[in-house]
Amino acid sequence: MYQVEASKALLKPRLWATPAARLSVPRNVVLLGMVSLLTDISAEMVATVLPLYLVFSVGVTPLALGAIDGLYRGAAAIVQVGSGFASDRLQRHKEVMTLGYGLSAVCKVGLVVAGSSVGAIGALVASDRIGKGIRTAPRDALISLSSTKAGLATSFGVHRAMDSAGAMLGPLVAFGILLLAPARFDAVFVVSTAFAFLGLAVLVLAVKARPDRAPAASAAKPSLRVALGIAADRRFRLLLLAAGGLALASVSDTLIYVGLQRQSNFDPTVFPLLFVVTAVAFMALAIPVGRLADRIGRVPVLLAGHAVLLPVYGLLLSSIGTGGVLFALLALGVYFAATDGVTTALAGAILPERLQATGIGILITVMSLGKFGSSLIFGALWFALGLKSAVLLFAVALLAALLVATPLLMRLRQEPVG
Amino acid sequence: MSKGRRWALAAIAGLCILAGVGYLVFAALDPSSVSTDAQPVAGQGAGDLASAQLMVRAVDREDPFLNGRVFVLEGGHPREVDGGELSCERVYFAGDRGLCLATAESGVSYEATIVDSSLQPLEHLDLAGLPSRARVSSDGRYGAMTVFVNGHAYVSSGGFSTVTTIVDMRNGELLGNLEDFKVTRDGEPFEAVDFNFWGITFAADPNRFYATLHTGDRYYLVEGDVKRQTMRVLRDGVECPSLSPDGTRIAFKSRIGDENRWRLAVLDLATLKAHPVAEQRSIDDQPEWLDNRALVYSDGLDVYTVSADGSGKPRLVLRNASSPVSLAAHDQPASKASAEAGSRPLAEG
Repeated sequence: MYQVEASKALLKPRLWATPAARLSVPRNVVLLGMVSLLTDISAEMVATVLPLYLVFSVGVTPLALGAIDGLYRGAAAIVQVGSGFASDRLQRHKEVMTLGYGLSAVCKVGLVVAGSSVGAIGALVASDRIGKGIRTAPRDALISLSSTKAGLATSFGVHRAMDSAGAMLGPLVAFGILLLAPARFDAVFVVSTAFAFLGLAVLVLAVKARPDRAPAASAAKPSLRVALGIAADRRFRLLLLAAGGLALASVSDTLIYVGLQRQSNFDPTVFPLLFVVTAVAFMALAIPVGRLADRIGRVPVLLAGHAVLLPVYGLLLSSIGTGGVLFALLALGVYFAATDGVTTALAGAILPERLQATGIGILITVMSLGKFGSSLIFGALWFALGLKSAVLLFAVALLAALLVATPLLMRLRQEPVG
Repeated sequence: MSKGRRWALAAIAGLCILAGVGYLVFAALDPSSVSTDAQPVAGQGAGDLASAQLMVRAVDREDPFLNGRVFVLEGGHPREVDGGELSCERVYFAGDRGLCLATAESGVSYEATIVDSSLQPLEHLDLAGLPSRARVSSDGRYGAMTVFVNGHAYVSSGGFSTVTTIVDMRNGELLGNLEDFKVTRDGEPFEAVDFNFWGITFAADPNRFYATLHTGDRYYLVEGDVKRQTMRVLRDGVECPSLSPDGTRIAFKSRIGDENRWRLAVLDLATLKAHPVAEQRSIDDQPEWLDNRALVYSDGLDVYTVSADGSGKPRLVLRNASSPVSLAAHDQPASKASAEAGSRPLAEG
């Protein structure tokens, strides 16, 4: 297969074929990655300047800013499951995705014309979040359906690498624009709109709606009962249980950064840099770790990825230097590379073709609930008992979750795929 | 992908790039963004700060280059400061030093600038977040600043986090972050992870200061010592304290219920009793003492003054300005509750 793809690459224009062919990644996955890359540049450009714009140009207090930000988090989670089911039911993943990406693109146009109306900006931020909620499950389902089962983790690795590349580039583009045209937030919004529509165009015009593994158009459309039945599927339930439990025992990256700051006492101004270092590590490792997962098995990689958090927890227990902080950031990059796409790849392999989006939507929701719960619990423990005790309790919980999840997930592995 | 689709994609890509780059070039070359003749005020005979009463920053949401420009009010007329072109989100001036918190030139980070009495920059300091409050001790020795830090709030969901630091105004050296100070309440050590501090005001001896300590649902007034790095809790319900020039009272904003709404009030330090002033609207500002009898503050758009004893009505001082600094208040410390301050009325409009 590798050979065939490679020889094709020689015949085709290099620009189109090489990245996909060299890794033997389906072209549809690379195109979906390109859509995410462009959309993330667009989204992160706005996310970078929106607080500045609201506070300095519109005159919102930072307090109201927190409210705008926190208000709509729940909405996206509910939309996710619904949009996943809708795209399975209609067998139109691409169209539902287009709706999600389109909504976000229109929101960027809205920002250009909204001016300084706080209500309008709040509504636009909310719609943008809903757009993100709509598109995530059908997109991951389409990535999964575009890949062979043997190459699922590699495909998700490629997508996640491109996705985080976009998230890295967005702030840089916004930064560059404000350097060229100081305080011209409108220019940032216009360029962000251009990126959003570029991404939308790649989706509509280039992404294949019905890849090879997609159910035939004539196949029976899953009813709500069949869709809900997926949650009763034994193997999928094992995965949900393991992924949810592991998420609950994993301290969020933001909280780890705050803890690192406490233990090493670095200047708070470098705080945003921590996200960047982790994102670079994630970006660089997503593809090789995905390939590794396809080769030696997704379950061991997923478990090892969570185990990497244990030494990070250890670093939070005493004061550390720059080397310790750097190690923790790289370890977090490994953790994301070995868990983010790999968990979805596991689901993609278990779920029947016609229920991919529904199942992935449920999985993402369970994992984000787990992460949300973990942040609440960790915050409360930190407040009540102090950082050390909170970290120790989470280390014990993570060990326990790993011990429980290992036999559960190993059972998934022994049974035949599909 | 069919040939037609490939052409359509190329056409849309070209259009998007053209629109983005075109608008960017337009924005970068737009005369309004490079113009230097945006005059905040009718500059009639510029001079130094000595004769001025108030310093403010311009509020203009339409024009980012006028927004934040610092000017002074003299004899009821606003004017620019001689030679000093300063733009700030929050500004303070006392003694011979000013502190200006602003967006850095890049537009995506923040910095504090220490300036002299001609508003010429002496030192630049990086800030960890959005500028909120700035103060300078009356002798110009110490400066204090509060910023909001993003991604730092963890205990309360949807909450926020502040960082308050004290600097030496002579050399820009960091003297301390309030989070590292030892706090006591009723003589006992007091500690919690969700401590947040904001709104420092300095006493005549700049080593002594007051600030707000937020923990749980409490907003404590604390009295601190810069050199010993200590603070002690005085009472609850005081945000953004501001010490009167005679050092006997503290003006502050008092939270109404759980909402982010505040009434301005004045606390007598001898009795720790407080009374509201006549301003009925919610004000989110660290009030400033015009003199020992009146406060001056901003609602975010305009600058007002109101009597500190709770009598009278608020009066508009200046439209389209915020972050007011009384330049006269610091000349009249202690007992001289000056009568002549009232004889220099601030003009309206």
